[in-house]
Amino acid sequence: MVQLTINGKKVSTKKGNTILEAALDNNIKIPHLCHDKRLMPYGGCRLCIVEIEGRKKPEASCATFATDGLSVWTDTPKVIKIRQTVLELILVHHPLDCPVCDKAGECDIQDLVYQYGSPRTRFVAEKNHALPDTRGPLVELTSSRCVLCGKCVRLCAEHQGKGALGLIGRGFPTVVQPAFGEALECDFCGQCIDVCPTGALMNKSLKFKARPWFLEEKDSICSFCGCGCTLTLGLTDGKIQRSRGMQDRGVNRGNLCGRGRFGFDYIYSENRLRSPMINKGGELVTVTWDEALNYISDRMKSIINAHGPSSIGAIGSPRCTNEENYCFQKFMRNVVGSNNIDSSASFGYGLVEKAWHMAFGLSGHRIDLKYPTGKEVILAIESDLTVTHPVFGLNILQAQREGSELIVADSRETKLTRHSTRWARIKQGTGVVFLNGIMRIMMDRGLIDNQIVLHMKDVSAFEETLKEYTPSKVSEITGLSRDELVTITETLVHAKTRMLTLSIGVSENSKGLDTVLAATNLIHLLGESPDALQIPAEYANTFGLYQMGVRPDAGPAYQWTGVEGKNIFEMLYEPYSLKALYIMGADPLVNFPDKSEIITTLKSLYLLIVQDIALTETAKFAHVILPASSWAEKEGTYTNAEGVSQMLPRLIEPAGQSLPDWKILKNLARTMGEDMAVHDTTDIVREIDSLRVKYYDSFPMTRIFNPVHYVPGEEPDTEYPVNMVLRDVLQHAGSMSTRSKTLNLISSEALLEINRTDADRFGISHNGYVKVISRRGTVYLKAAVSDSVPDGNVYVPTHFPHSAVSTLTHQSGKGRITTEAVRIETA
Amino acid sequence: METVLLKNIDNPKSADIDEYLKAGGYRGLSKAVTLEPADIIEEVSKSGLKGRGGAGFPTAMKWRFAATDPKFPKYLICNADEGEPGTFKDRPILEKNPHLLLEGMAISAIALGSEQGYIYLRGEYPDARDILEASIRQANDRGYLGDDILGKGLTFNIHVHQGAGAYICGEETALIESIEGKRGQPRSKPPFPVNQGAWEMPTIVNNVETLANIPYIIEIGGDAYSGIGSEDCPGPKLFCVSGSVNRPGVYELPMGTSLREIIHDHAGGIKNGRTLKAVIPGGLSTPVLPAESIDCRMDFISMQGVGSMLGSGAVIVMDDSICMVSVTYRAMKFFEHESCGKCVPCREGTDWLRKVLERVENGKGREGDVDLLLYISGTMTGRTFCPLGDGAAGVVQAMIKHFRTEFEEHISEKKCTYKSIN
Ligand SMILES: Cc1cc2nc3c(=O)[nH]c(=O)nc-3n(C[C@H](O)[C@H](O)[C@H](O)COP(=O)(O)O)c2cc1C
Ligand code: SF4
Ligand code: SF4
Ligand code: SF4
Ligand code: FES
Repeated sequence: MVQLTINGKKVSTKKGNTILEAALDNNIKIPHLCHDKRLMPYGGCRLCIVEIEGRKKPEASCATFATDGLSVWTDTPKVIKIRQTVLELILVHHPLDCPVCDKAGECDIQDLVYQYGSPRTRFVAEKNHALPDTRGPLVELTSSRCVLCGKCVRLCAEHQGKGALGLIGRGFPTVVQPAFGEALECDFCGQCIDVCPTGALMNKSLKFKARPWFLEEKDSICSFCGCGCTLTLGLTDGKIQRSRGMQDRGVNRGNLCGRGRFGFDYIYSENRLRSPMINKGGELVTVTWDEALNYISDRMKSIINAHGPSSIGAIGSPRCTNEENYCFQKFMRNVVGSNNIDSSASFGYGLVEKAWHMAFGLSGHRIDLKYPTGKEVILAIESDLTVTHPVFGLNILQAQREGSELIVADSRETKLTRHSTRWARIKQGTGVVFLNGIMRIMMDRGLIDNQIVLHMKDVSAFEETLKEYTPSKVSEITGLSRDELVTITETLVHAKTRMLTLSIGVSENSKGLDTVLAATNLIHLLGESPDALQIPAEYANTFGLYQMGVRPDAGPAYQWTGVEGKNIFEMLYEPYSLKALYIMGADPLVNFPDKSEIITTLKSLYLLIVQDIALTETAKFAHVILPASSWAEKEGTYTNAEGVSQMLPRLIEPAGQSLPDWKILKNLARTMGEDMAVHDTTDIVREIDSLRVKYYDSFPMTRIFNPVHYVPGEEPDTEYPVNMVLRDVLQHAGSMSTRSKTLNLISSEALLEINRTDADRFGISHNGYVKVISRRGTVYLKAAVSDSVPDGNVYVPTHFPHSAVSTLTHQSGKGRITTEAVRIETA
Repeated sequence: METVLLKNIDNPKSADIDEYLKAGGYRGLSKAVTLEPADIIEEVSKSGLKGRGGAGFPTAMKWRFAATDPKFPKYLICNADEGEPGTFKDRPILEKNPHLLLEGMAISAIALGSEQGYIYLRGEYPDARDILEASIRQANDRGYLGDDILGKGLTFNIHVHQGAGAYICGEETALIESIEGKRGQPRSKPPFPVNQGAWEMPTIVNNVETLANIPYIIEIGGDAYSGIGSEDCPGPKLFCVSGSVNRPGVYELPMGTSLREIIHDHAGGIKNGRTLKAVIPGGLSTPVLPAESIDCRMDFISMQGVGSMLGSGAVIVMDDSICMVSVTYRAMKFFEHESCGKCVPCREGTDWLRKVLERVENGKGREGDVDLLLYISGTMTGRTFCPLGDGAAGVVQAMIKHFRTEFEEHISEKKCTYKSIN
């Protein structure tokens, strides 16, 4: 710590902090325009100038480091005078078009001038009236309002690792622009909008919609990925108008990705469900809640009578709250009497839990979003966390900037590989071999942590299973040189602190349980704590839903229920195994693999209930559709990948006749003559609390090796010569985000990423349509020819309902890698 | 005085390595390879050499910071941006005596433990680029540069990086940004380049002329060198004289030669029989001196005493036909154009100053404009991010200090009474 005096008051601050940071940390305000604590010191605006005793000149506090014994004065007449003149200079050419500027009311320039300004204008210059650049989607740039603080440019480059904006030109005529003055094409995180102190960079979707002073701001939690970011939502007239991040707020500390910032408007999509519907003679007919619930009740009862409760299954939702998922499983277990309940987590987080249990005897794998910070080595395995979990990804990038060695083993060039210190470009899908190879080298060279490993009884058997992963074989399969493998191994072993990370979920098919187990084996050999493995739960409430017992093998709080119910594979991919299926907030036909197999199952059902906020692909096959309220229309909690439970306030009125999921369940139970004993969410919360969900620290930890071998996905052959990999796109999470009009402006269909060589081989051009054929089906997609992907492989996202990529895919039922062999033709 | 920096300059083939060797070249390097790095720095320290780029920072002190930093690699950058208006002193070294520079760089590299050097060359010197690259090839072939210097296993390679015409890229941190491929604007200090410069590694930036002094220092020894010229900043110095003189050009003279001697004896006095009116003694960004102040010694310390600076040693001479408002206006056009735009006072201030000067020069000045000029420049002094803005403000302040009535006349007469130099 450094001790200094500010305005006569003794304060202390972290070593390496600037005077400005020291002041702000101690609640001393110094005006600043070009400083942002996420960025390197800049010192451009000169507003933060202070006097330091013993120094001739006033100094910019944001660019002067705090050192022991400094005596700083932040508000002397001299300093105030300087600030006034700087503001005067800034305003000389500023258009002062506050009346038509959407920033007015929360603009730093306005606030500063209000505080320091002098009404005198010594110089009447022609005002800058450059017209706004409205070409790009989402972000509008009015350079006449820009004060060239450079924060947007630096945030984009330094913090986001993107570098899409530049300061173009020199001196007075400088403007903020993308390279070559083109329209902005970037990640669309919109972070530049939040960081801009003026109305120069604005959220296009907000333009002329609401004066900031009429916006009522309330915090809620993002409904997309497992990071669980706090969104500050601005409302007028009962409608959400915008979402922004506020510095230091939430687990995201004010950072947001584009989904959280722009994607909330999926709740206003045209195909929101507004009333219950029943399929009558092939047509969906709007009915009353009474009719719908009675219909379900009658059918359910007769199915239970005829076929028993185990003929009914249910699929829960990572988009629904803890309270709703809790009620859902309670409904299934207590009202229906069946443990047949599962979710998309079985393709992702469920596998992590399984591996966690097998390797460490633990339950409840939580990550720590800040875990990357300060780790000597970070190893990411076949994953781009900057896409699946953008805010966690930012922390990884920041760790790298601050000196962590970032090793990324991936076949495809991603943002993470671009920022890696070492990109181990392994062949697609060979992560397990890569990990086994590292472990074999460790074993051979005695680089294992003996203290831990020698206490593990299965160690020699495990060593035996690694025998076949000789460096030369591993090198052949992964494509990495032997030296590279050895270097990576040594780097990992010699580091004092490490993090291993990957993502896994239903939207990817190139990793499986094996991949996670291989990583746990490596954790053992390194003698690392299980915490060093950071695999975030995929969606907003995946973690919570698992804790709430939306799984066939355990109830809430990981309590064993006696009989294991049917899992998602048995329910969805074994036609006739069920008579009725109740789907809450999930769209298996889009998000789960093997669409035609699922359709066969759905068609075999006597009763399909789909309860959702929008008319999903799956809902089109339902006998009854129940309209649910969206995340903003109800109270509840989401538990993020860190295991932190966070409140969702009710912000707006429910759409149409929609009801919160828990209320629908409660009403349905009553219609069926049962009482769920819940009247409001506090009842549910109380009941959940009484079951106090246990975290893993309350379980005794063991260490067990789980040898895994390399099992590739469907191997390409002459008929299907290309390997198809599923990968997320940054602008979407799951499929609900595709109903956001705003996100659709930048990503509205599944693009097939294909290498130039392959594109030439199959005669495919950039942006041309292609026919993709797998053993299971055919779809038409647009091609994106890209140098980022290796030849022999194409990469496709699943999010988009109309792209129907799930037509092509299959599942293994065992949590295996399920990459697809496909054929590609021009269309 | 025997010339050191311009030695051999009249030989049309002076750039050739054989000519250079014939004249005793590379003797300093041959000696340096037998010395310990610390001993080389000690010699430079004894010599009292101060940087010739403009700021006059003691060279040995700068080197020590970088040499003692344990990080590796270290970079040595020769600042050949020569952007200060009126300055053309580095050019003869670059074009006529390139091996002197290369030899100086090689010795410095040994002292610093650097294996990679850069010459950041002014964009408008295309000939120098060809000459330097050819010379580097020659020196490599002869073992004065490369991977095994003079068979001693020492490595030092030099890359020529040509600028794109921005004055600010002569400022050392902006120069480093530019070499890294970034936008040319100054970095915040600390960290200083000596510890965290190019690619965050210890980096030395020295002017061409500074480095060209090194071989001589090593050859004759620091003590002997310190006897040349002014006591507190010794050595030979290049003065480039331009403007209203009979013999404009580059003159190598001992540091501390008086301004009067430079103008009247060496540059042949004022042209066309006119009388001297004012001198800008050290490049455009140094404060102007009136005719009566030219009895000062041209070195870093004495020039501060008379309220100006030695700067780059670029003497711009103005006779009594020249309008000071016009000169100030022209200067401000330059500064406005070259302001990088990073900081508000410089970016907005230079623009505003230029606009006011423009109207005064065009006879459209308003009452109070002189005070306005002083006010605006006052908002810049000491508050800009780098010395460019400070310098720009200083130019206006000095001009008004010495020639205020001329500004006021422009305003009251509503016209310029002098011939414009534009
Ligand atoms: C605006 C500005 C422009 C400069 N231009 C040059 C230049 O063209 N050449 C140069 O050698 N130094 C220039 N300098 C000085 C350098 O920043 C630096 O001090 C010098 O290269 C150090 O070398 P020296 O120690 O050998 O003098 C400039 C400084 C400023 C502030
Ligand atoms: S657009 Fe905004 S953030 Fe970017 S430089 Fe201009 S004022 Fe600063
Ligand atoms: S999608 Fe994830 S990273 Fe993006 S704002 Fe939402 S929670 Fe944060
Ligand atoms: S003083 Fe001028 S040149 Fe220097 S940083 Fe500021 S704007 Fe750039
Ligand atoms: S905040 Fe310090 S100069 Fe802008």
